[in-house]
Amino acid sequence: MKMSNIKLGVTTHSYVAEWVDDKATLEDMVRHIADLGCDGMEIVATSMFPEYPYVSDAYAGEIRRYAADYGVKLVAISGNMDRGKRYDRNLSEGERLAVVIRDLQNANKLECSVLKSQFLISPQVMQRAAKYAEYYGVKLTIEIHNPETPTSKIMTDYYNAFEETGSKYLGFVPDFGMFADRPNKADMDRAIAGGANREIVETAIKLRYDGVSREDGRKILTEKNATPMEMNLFESMYGFMQFSKNPDFDGLRKIMKYSPHMHGKFIDILEDGTEATIPYDKILKVLDEENYDGYIVSEFEGQVKPGHSSFDYVRRHIALERKILAELNQ
Amino acid sequence: MGFVMRVKLTETLRDGTLKNYFENGKKAGYQFDVRLAYYRGHYLSVIDEFKVEVDNEEVDDMDIRFCVNGKEFMPCQLREAYYEFWNIKKPATIKVRKDGGLAAGEHNVKLTLMFRNPYLPQPGAEDRYTPVDSCDEKILVLEDAIA
Repeated sequence: MKMSNIKLGVTTHSYVAEWVDDKATLEDMVRHIADLGCDGMEIVATSMFPEYPYVSDAYAGEIRRYAADYGVKLVAISGNMDRGKRYDRNLSEGERLAVVIRDLQNANKLECSVLKSQFLISPQVMQRAAKYAEYYGVKLTIEIHNPETPTSKIMTDYYNAFEETGSKYLGFVPDFGMFADRPNKADMDRAIAGGANREIVETAIKLRYDGVSREDGRKILTEKNATPMEMNLFESMYGFMQFSKNPDFDGLRKIMKYSPHMHGKFIDILEDGTEATIPYDKILKVLDEENYDGYIVSEFEGQVKPGHSSFDYVRRHIALERKILAELNQ
Repeated sequence: MGFVMRVKLTETLRDGTLKNYFENGKKAGYQFDVRLAYYRGHYLSVIDEFKVEVDNEEVDDMDIRFCVNGKEFMPCQLREAYYEFWNIKKPATIKVRKDGGLAAGEHNVKLTLMFRNPYLPQPGAEDRYTPVDSCDEKILVLEDAIA
């Protein structure tokens, strides 16, 4: 018998191009999510809340109306930890805790059960925040985003902190970008068309695949007289566009018990319906085997091609996930 | 300078917003609207550099008012505005004190607006954050009817 219960939703971040340029409202996003047959939405607080960092009664009413009229409920709030907002020093632990308590209170007011924060919060502050998360009935999580992995040093510190508290209200939000197993071909083609040397680009990809360190890779490419543009491409492969032949699926299995929510990151959906860099078939198989019961919210972070909109991309992403899930259920 | 982010999703300097304003029954200066070039809003305290140049002349800091949320700030006050949030959807109005305002017609407006991403430290740094470029330069037209 199937034990997994993988639910699909969308984060408002997917539609940010239309949102910021005043081409789409929150209700347009909700309508699209409902039209896709999904019932879960994540909201990025710093982009969407009209009275950030507060939630007005009017806004809470609006969110309730979307749940009632469209059947789309708020399943997570995506928060930011702006540790560097002061010019003279980082926010203290107490100040970071205050940010999180406010966010938890907002989530509670919006009847939302997951708050996603960011790793600058610190494991110690997470521990101190556990009792507030429990009080508000909201799971406090941090995102694991490229270049971090489920078992990188920072995330291991968090894992150990969660174990220590024993709270069921602390956890992770894995972002699927960290499981990318190939570079984005479109980026590479664009770089080559823009003057990057094909051999250098291929060398950079191979260095990354072979697990050569960033420092050694830099030396090798410098010896090959790589241009600043080629070096930037190489650096991106060790940063936000990181990829690996062996994504950390064992790490994902390890943190499943602490993962109530996930980010279905995607950059592009290719003609054949697959994602450009991220092996969705492999990821969803792991989630299915580990009996995941929660939402994956589609998070589009690519470039919208002329003549298209973010809405098209989200539609194709949901179709991709549905196809894989249908195959897994056979 | 190292890596600088640029995320422009809408026009920064807003067309159709340049106009003169009055104080004490006299034309006291001019104003125009600005939106932040990013995907989320920010506390004003993350603004590291704010300058205005109009028709190739830099405006004195003390003559600038950065207006948002019904409040007005001089550029030197921005860095301590830790709790003043600038919503990504809301334009800020920039007011510039100038006796007599501006003449009707085209004016070249240059905005320097650099901020730091307070949740994104630079690689390997504990207290330096990734800079973001929200600068813009364009011709804004002050219509006869509102000049």
